Amino acid sequence: MQNNHHKEHLYKILVIGDLGVGKTSIIKRYVHHNFSPNYRATIGVDFALKVLNWDQETVRLQLWDIAGQERFGNMTRVYYREAMGAFIVFDVTRPASFEAVTKWKEDLDSKLTLANGKHVATVLLANKCDQGRDVLTNNGIKMEQFCQENGFVGWYETSAKENINIDEAANCLVKHIMASENDMLQSEVPDTVTPQLEKDKGGTCSSCFRSQ
Amino acid sequence: MGQLTLPCFPPAEHCSQSVRKVEFEPLSTTALILEDRPPNLPAKSAEETQRHRQQYEQMVAGAKRRELKEAQRRQQQMKERFRQEEVISNATLVWNQHILPHWDTTKSSRRAQELWWGGLPPSVRGRIWSLAIGNELNITAELYEIFLSRAKEKWTSLSDTEDGASLAEPSVELITQDISRTFPSLCVFQKGGPYHNLLRNILGAYTCYRPDVGYVQGMSSIAAVLILNMGEAEAFISFSNLINRPCQLAFYRVDHQLMCRYFRTFQVFLEETLPRLFLHFQSLGLSPDLYLMDWILSLYTKPLPLDVACRVWDLYFRDGEEFLFRAALGILRLFQDVLLHMDLISVAQFLSRPPGEELLSDRLFSCILATPLLSGNRKWSQVSHLTNRVITVSKSQREIGSNELFCFPQVLSSCSC
Repeated sequence: MQNNHHKEHLYKILVIGDLGVGKTSIIKRYVHHNFSPNYRATIGVDFALKVLNWDQETVRLQLWDIAGQERFGNMTRVYYREAMGAFIVFDVTRPASFEAVTKWKEDLDSKLTLANGKHVATVLLANKCDQGRDVLTNNGIKMEQFCQENGFVGWYETSAKENINIDEAANCLVKHIMASENDMLQSEVPDTVTPQLEKDKGGTCSSCFRSQ
Repeated sequence: MGQLTLPCFPPAEHCSQSVRKVEFEPLSTTALILEDRPPNLPAKSAEETQRHRQQYEQMVAGAKRRELKEAQRRQQQMKERFRQEEVISNATLVWNQHILPHWDTTKSSRRAQELWWGGLPPSVRGRIWSLAIGNELNITAELYEIFLSRAKEKWTSLSDTEDGASLAEPSVELITQDISRTFPSLCVFQKGGPYHNLLRNILGAYTCYRPDVGYVQGMSSIAAVLILNMGEAEAFISFSNLINRPCQLAFYRVDHQLMCRYFRTFQVFLEETLPRLFLHFQSLGLSPDLYLMDWILSLYTKPLPLDVACRVWDLYFRDGEEFLFRAALGILRLFQDVLLHMDLISVAQFLSRPPGEELLSDRLFSCILATPLLSGNRKWSQVSHLTNRVITVSKSQREIGSNELFCFPQVLSSCSC
C-alpha cells in the first residue's frame, strides 16, 4: 500500500466530441490558462498534463485530446484504454454536435469499462456558451434528464474563451473518478485477482492504478 | 551589477514639495548618479561619492562591452545571412540554367542530388516539387475547372437550403472549419485572407474528384503548403497526385493494416538505430502511431516549423516515402537525450511539437544524415516487405482482431522477434 502522506494519483482522461467543438481550446485554457481562436485541427491525438493539489494529495491528470473527425474513429479508439474519466464536448451553437453526443457516449461505454464493470465517469461540456445557448434553449432539452438517461455524472456550460466553468467541470470529474476508485478498492475482496482491462504492466497490482 | 547605495529620501509627503522647490531635473543617468544630492538632503561623503563614481564607471564599461558584443553578433548574423543568400542565389542559378531545362536526364545527377539535399531555393521549389511529384493521374487544368465548378454548385445549393450547415455534407463543413485554422500565424488562409478561396477551391474540387477518399484532417495543411509554392491548377494536380501516393493513401484512408505495416517497419529501424530510445519507448508503452500518425498525416507541417517542414518535403520528393520515416528517426535522434528522461505523456507532448530551436534545420538534417535507413544490410523497402509477410503469416495463424493488429508493444515484441 502507498504511504498516505504523499499519495499521488495519476488519471488518464479523454476529451472527445465532434470536431471543432473546442476540445483543444478547453484543454489549453485548463492547463495553460490561455485562449486563442486559432488552434490547429487535432490529427490523431494530442496530450497535456495538469497537476492538481487535492486535499494534500497530488492528482496528475493526463489529458488525451482525441481527434474529432469520424474517419479517425477506429484508429483513435485504441487510445481509450486505461482511461479513468472523460469529457464529452459539444458546441452549443451547432445542433449536430449535440446530436453526436450520444454516439460518442455509446462508443465510449462500449469500448471502455472499469475493473468493476462500471462505465468511466463522464462529464458533458456545453462549450462556447459565450456565443449563445441555441442548442440548450431551442430544443427544449432538459439537460439534467438527458444526463441521467445517458449516464453522465454532470454537465457544465463552458466557455474556453471566457474561462467559464472549466475548473468546476474538471473538479467534478476528478471527484467522481476518486469516488469510483475508492468504490473499486473497497469492493475488492482480498486474496483474489481481479481481471483488468488488459495485462498489467511491470507487475503493478490492479488496485494501484499506476499511482506512485 | 554593483550595489548602489540609494540616497535616503524623506517621507513621501515632503517629497513632492521639495521637488517643486528645487527644480531638480537630472538630464541623464550621469546627473542622477554623479551630481550632488539636492540641497535639502544631507550631502554625500567623499567616500560615497568616490564609490558611486567607480560603480558608475563599471556600469558604463559593462554597457559598452555588451554593445560591442551585440554589434559583433549582429555583424556575424548579417554575414551568415549574406552567405546564405549567396548560396541560395547560386543554387537557383544552377537549378534554372543547368538542371531544370534537362530535368529528366539531370535530376538524378550527383550535382542535382547534392544541391537538393541542402534544400530547394524557394523560387524554384514549386516547379521542382511539381515535376518530382509528377502527374500519374493525368489531371489537366480543364479537369480541375470541371471539379471546381461541381464543388461550387454544391456550395451554392447548400447555402440556398435553410439550415444548410446541419444538413450539409460533413466534408463541406469540415473544410470550412479546418481552413480557418490552417497556418493561423501566416494570416493568409483565414476568411478574408488572400489564399482563403484558393484553399477552399482545391479542397472542394478534390472531394468531388475523389469522393472515395474525401476530405481528411491534415489535408488542408498539405494543400496550403502547395498553394504557397505554386499556382492554383498546378497545386491541385500536385495535391491529388501526392495524396495518391501509397503512403498518403494508407494514412488518409486510415487503413489500419497498411498503417500498421509502416509502423512496424519503422520500429525495426528505430530499434536498430536508436536502441536505447526504442527500449525506453517500449517501457513507457509508447507506440509509434502516437506520434507518426500526426507527423505523416500533416507531412511534418505540425511538428516542425514551416521552413523545416518544406525541406523535409524536398527530400521526400527526392527519395520517396522512406525519407518520411528517416526524418522521423532524425527528429528522435536530435532529441534523444531529453526524451530518454521523460515519461509517456511528456514524450508524447514533446513530440507533437518539438521546440523550434535556433538552427533547427541544420541540426535536424545532420541528424538525418547520420541516420541511414539500413537494418543490417536491408533497406526500407526490403524490411517493409518482410514485415508484411510476418503480418500475413501471423494473421492466418491466429486470427488477429483489427485492434490487436495495431502496434501495441506486446504484439510487436511477439512479432518482431
